[in-house]
Amino acid sequence: MRVDPNYVTTLVGSLDQAQASQQQLTAELSSGVSVTSLSQNPVASGENVLLLNQIQQDDSFTQSTNLVTGQLQVADSTLGSVVAQLTQAISLATQANNGTENASDVKSVSNQISGILDEVQSLANTSYQGQYIFSGGQTSTTPFATSNATSPAVTTYNGDADINYLVTPNGQKIQLNVPGSQIFLGSGANSVFGALNALVADYASGTVNTAQAVSDTAALSTAMGYVSQQRVTIDNSISQVTAAGDAVTNVQTQLTSAQSSLMQADVGQVSTQLSLAETQQTALEDVIAQMESQSNSLFSKLQ
Amino acid sequence: MGTISAAFSIMTQALDADQAALNVVANNVANANTPGYTTETPNFQQNQPLEVGGVSYGDGVTQTGATSARDRVLTERLNQQQQLASSTGSRLTALNTAQALFTPDSGSSSATAGDISSDLTGFFNSFSSLEANPTDNSLREEVLSSASTLAADVSNAAASLNAQRSALDQDASGVTSQVNSLTSAIAQLDQQIQSASPDADAGTLEDQRQQDLSQLSQLIGINQITTENNGISVTTTAGQPLISEGQSFQLTTGTVNGVTHFFAGGADITAGLASGGGELGGYLTARDQDIPGVLGSLDQLAYSVSTQVNALNNAGTDLDGDNGNAGNIFAGQAQVAGSAAGMSVVMTDPNHIAAAGAGQGTGDNSNAAAMAALGNQTIVNGETPTDYYANFVSELGATVSNVQTENTAATASVTQLQTQNNALSSVNLNDEASAMSTLERSYQAASQVFTMLNTLMASVLNLGEQSTVS
Repeated sequence: MRVDPNYVTTLVGSLDQAQASQQQLTAELSSGVSVTSLSQNPVASGENVLLLNQIQQDDSFTQSTNLVTGQLQVADSTLGSVVAQLTQAISLATQANNGTENASDVKSVSNQISGILDEVQSLANTSYQGQYIFSGGQTSTTPFATSNATSPAVTTYNGDADINYLVTPNGQKIQLNVPGSQIFLGSGANSVFGALNALVADYASGTVNTAQAVSDTAALSTAMGYVSQQRVTIDNSISQVTAAGDAVTNVQTQLTSAQSSLMQADVGQVSTQLSLAETQQTALEDVIAQMESQSNSLFSKLQ
Repeated sequence: MGTISAAFSIMTQALDADQAALNVVANNVANANTPGYTTETPNFQQNQPLEVGGVSYGDGVTQTGATSARDRVLTERLNQQQQLASSTGSRLTALNTAQALFTPDSGSSSATAGDISSDLTGFFNSFSSLEANPTDNSLREEVLSSASTLAADVSNAAASLNAQRSALDQDASGVTSQVNSLTSAIAQLDQQIQSASPDADAGTLEDQRQQDLSQLSQLIGINQITTENNGISVTTTAGQPLISEGQSFQLTTGTVNGVTHFFAGGADITAGLASGGGELGGYLTARDQDIPGVLGSLDQLAYSVSTQVNALNNAGTDLDGDNGNAGNIFAGQAQVAGSAAGMSVVMTDPNHIAAAGAGQGTGDNSNAAAMAALGNQTIVNGETPTDYYANFVSELGATVSNVQTENTAATASVTQLQTQNNALSSVNLNDEASAMSTLERSYQAASQVFTMLNTLMASVLNLGEQSTVS
């Protein structure tokens, strides 16, 4: 049987392949990435897109939680201060209602409660990074203003009832704000400003209508309880944000590990393959060199 | 009746025959590295014996030329596989260039530049961040900057694909002139072969014709049919004649819808050539199917994202209080085709991002939440943008991988057939050395016999006297 006399060409082809394989393996080792083009592993490439999308979404959510936690904490501490102020107002009112105070003391109580009213209103107008936090969606509008044209004075709300939510990567909605009207101008006895304005008017003249004043003090007490309830909503949001952030961080860790095992090169395996490819190349080179060193034809033997 | 003169004549013919055979061997050795050369074996033919008085006397040998060691079936098979290998080869090169635009992102920490999947996620994430603080200027700037990154990467990818398509178009039209010059050369050779050697192998001429056919097979897909008088006709795989009866039919090119189309005798044969094989088949498949497919997917993605995001932005309220007319973030797209190349950000003022819902205060975040949610909604052909992109890269990768496998198989098949063909038709120097050695011995033997005959003749002429003729 005749053979292909150009077999060295075929050997050189094999040598090229061995070199290409080494180049690929070296690239994997140096970059640490096993999938360097889509065609190398189409399924992993697609999976990688989805995993990275989730990882980046989680990453972005973690940053968002830091932003909203600040705002929620400001709201929480503000409401804490409001409750402290209201406690003081109730204590002053109770003192004025017991019938032992003279007119000037009662007037002084009226002034002090009026001061508390200003303080509470200023707290209700708190802003975070330039945006009012108790004005619903109208964050550029000062939410509360008090008009002294009537007695008792009237505090009005200029924000709206809009509630913002933060959506977690798995679709959970976390409430980010409580509109000011809901906290400070609740209906009936739940209105903080209503009760405070009423008390200021009750004590303004120095003469106390005890029945009215006691009723208004009770209303302020109820309103304070209502503020505390609204504060619970904020507290709940803070713990939800923290819990969601932690959960997302855990998921992110798992996803990152999955993504690494999908795309990263197995150094041990690649090194072994590289070593095999090198051995093959050396063997091929030796064979070719030997073929070339021996004279390739019978002509050399003919004299 | 045998005579010494007859013996002289036989030996002279033997020496001539051996010389002619040595010529054949020398020609083989000389052409050992000539591409397309087919090794030749010398033919010896016994001369008609002489009948004298009922006794038959041998009358020597004649060298009757050489026969090329050729297997037409094998060469034709080799050509066919070569067409497949060239076609998948040029298609693979194009696909590899295309897939390099979508290199997988290796890690989560640093997004690779130009990685559209990270850009998409980053863009929708920027709205998630805006949810946390819808009036924050830096977060709004972030939305516009991530939109610009997405638009730039998508439009750059589309521009590269379009450029690649034009390059393929030029490559394809460049093949035409080579095909035409080869078909002319084959037609001319065909005429020579038909007149010079209508009923036998035409040797060197045939070698040249086979070599040209092999080159033609690298360029386009062909069918060849052997006709009478040793001629051939060649058609494209789809059946358009290229060579018939010693005549070649030239391919012409023309521009149709911005790309080069190929014509034979006025008929547009582009589609047939694309599926036919050869480099041209690969170029055309990549130009007309692969690249437009990739571009189409990008166009769909760009169109859906631009359109949906713009619609939502115009449905909300921006920071300036514009309700329902905040304007477009991305350039509006009238149709899917060309959307990727035309993707750009037209919004310059971050205040025009409508984070608030319709009729809501500027501190509302419901529209930002809705835009962030678009990233997880089935807005692109019934899939989420990320799923769509993931499927797109998987499909592209699978296509490249398939073509790679086809190419490896076709190349292996070509190598195998080439080895078989080389085994039959290549000049084997060992064989030539052995043949030369044999012929040399035969020539020496003939010379020796001649010398002996000469001595014999001298003896006869001298009639026993040694001195007169030596």
